[in-house]
Amino acid sequence: MKRVSIVDRLKKEGRTILTEIEAKTFLKQEGIPVIETRLSKTPKEAISISQRIGFPVVLKISSPEILHKSEAGGVKLSLKNAQEVKVAYDEIMEATRKKYPRATIHGVTVQKMAKPGTEVIVGTGKDPQFGPFIMFGLGGIFVELLKDVSFRIIPITRRDAREMIGEIKGYPLLLGYRGRESVSLSALEEILLKVSQLIEKYPEIKELELNPLFAYKNRVLGIDARILLEGP
Amino acid sequence: MIIQSEITPKHSLSNFFEPGRIGVIGLLREGFFGGLVVIKTLLRNGFSGEIYPVNPSYKEILGLKVYPSIKDVPAPVDLVLIITGNRAVPHILRECGEKGVRAAIVVSDGFAERDEEGAKLQKEIVEIGRQWGIRILGPNTAGIANPSKGVLPNPYELGYERLKPGGVALCGQTGMINPQAFPYGDLGYGVSKICDFGNKCDVDECDLMEYLEEDSDTKVIALYLEGIRDGRRFMEVGRRVQKKKPILILKSGRTEEGAKATSSHTGALAVKDQIFDGVCKQAGLLRLDSFGELFELPKIFSHQPLPKGNRLGIVTFTGGVGVLAVDEATRYGLRPTILTRRTIRELSSIYPNLGKPIIDLGPPMAALRDYISIYPKILRAVLKDENVDCLFNVIWTGPTQTFLEEYLRIYRQLKEINQKTVATWVYGPKVSLIQELTFGLEELGFPVFKDLEKAIKALGLASHYSVLKRREER
Repeated sequence: MKRVSIVDRLKKEGRTILTEIEAKTFLKQEGIPVIETRLSKTPKEAISISQRIGFPVVLKISSPEILHKSEAGGVKLSLKNAQEVKVAYDEIMEATRKKYPRATIHGVTVQKMAKPGTEVIVGTGKDPQFGPFIMFGLGGIFVELLKDVSFRIIPITRRDAREMIGEIKGYPLLLGYRGRESVSLSALEEILLKVSQLIEKYPEIKELELNPLFAYKNRVLGIDARILLEGP
Repeated sequence: MIIQSEITPKHSLSNFFEPGRIGVIGLLREGFFGGLVVIKTLLRNGFSGEIYPVNPSYKEILGLKVYPSIKDVPAPVDLVLIITGNRAVPHILRECGEKGVRAAIVVSDGFAERDEEGAKLQKEIVEIGRQWGIRILGPNTAGIANPSKGVLPNPYELGYERLKPGGVALCGQTGMINPQAFPYGDLGYGVSKICDFGNKCDVDECDLMEYLEEDSDTKVIALYLEGIRDGRRFMEVGRRVQKKKPILILKSGRTEEGAKATSSHTGALAVKDQIFDGVCKQAGLLRLDSFGELFELPKIFSHQPLPKGNRLGIVTFTGGVGVLAVDEATRYGLRPTILTRRTIRELSSIYPNLGKPIIDLGPPMAALRDYISIYPKILRAVLKDENVDCLFNVIWTGPTQTFLEEYLRIYRQLKEINQKTVATWVYGPKVSLIQELTFGLEELGFPVFKDLEKAIKALGLASHYSVLKRREER
């Protein structure tokens, strides 16, 4: 299988953290659905990208050193027009510069505000005893507060994928609990399998996380993504 | 000249469990621990091979010639036990290598478990083992047991006469499973193999699972692990072996090592024990929650047939126990059965109103003088019901010995016809009566559990394993 150059390029540059844009570009090339995201370096550029992809949009700080963007004041949602984009851009810059004065800032990413879906998380990591593993869980407070997640060792089979989705406590939510829209379980299985295969193809990926991944009636879409490589 | 044993072993661990000639090197003085105990226990348990004590300070012991060095033994040796000070071990191992020994149990302590120097010594013996092709169990171990062949080279006085052969293999990184640490002598069921990995410098859980995979005595494997040496191999071997026999695992939790800071949620969540949980599910291994379960739960697999489904029949003496059993059953994926109309009719013809989902023997027990005469009919009716996959049977001992013989007779008959999984719980006013009946029933191959929760959990595990097995077959 042909390897995509981003990972190799980063290795050459001695970097281990992919920016959000790099991670998303890479994932898209590898057939994992992620929301289209562009990098802007000025408020003007952010506005013109927004106009092209259509409002409402989301702005996020782009910096390899800032991993928890929301906590740094680096995320603005539901921006409906050019004026709101401009204000958000400036606020993001100010907040993050204040909190991380020394961080390298590439700019601000612009992405379309995705249609709300059921938030899930798919992640991978490496265990000292068992090697690469994959995790699935419900996103948002479910993962943070209730730690409602399941694990398997990579590579996984379709049955493993099905079982890891089925064994989380919040599973009924995926089936459309109390009038919520049910989500495509086969699309979730597929994404778990694809991520598992991706890690096999790129063993130098230390951690990968799609969080949140929005699950819909017939598809899934990665909203945010981060990828860390093994150190040199 | 190096003389190899005439039979080429199937597996490198056969030398440990099925040795023809055993060398016992080191401590031979009287006491509850040492080589003398090893020799006495081997003789008492009917070990039919040769025993060679090795110690330069003795000439003869228990009528056996004592050799100054393993190299002086006039025949090939399959297995040695080394019970000496830690510093003497490397030299002795080299001599064993020269002699052509392929398996060594290093009982001596003072290795990696003690200090830096001990860790170095351990590394040294691992290298010697590799160099000479000697598999090493331990160090810091009380070794192995294979009661069906009388191979009980146990360095501690057992405290009982014999270890009963059976179907459960118990293995772990602890001396707590060894023959001297648990009242195996008082159990109605027997064990196939015992293996204490000690510091696990060479022989580990994967080697052992592979050996037990082919061991016809072993019906079920119970493992206690602190760490796993090679996670990938563990999964691969575990997944393969569990297709043949169930593997039950108790693992102590991960602590500091996984707790290193990571930037993502995945990393932070993974420090939990959940990865191992995932491993077990993926490989089809059955995870246990407590040390007591390690001894209690495997026995459901050693004599009883696997349930074909998860429908549970309950026969009890008190309604309360029945309700608790239903609660527990749901926790472990069992479903209280709905008896067929035929069975309901049959039960109610034996005694009015008996045909209920939870069959309560309280009323007939109180009302009938010869209640015991209807008891086998009741059990038979339930066990032959096609809606029953497994049975939780509660037995009240009664206040005196009177019923015990009857119960044993009934179970003996049951054994002839029964195709279902039966877990029994015995209660009553006297420990001695409970013990006597428990022992008798387990000797017949019907496991009796210490409490009702464990009995139900055992049935739950059996039912779960049977699902896994069918899944594999499809």
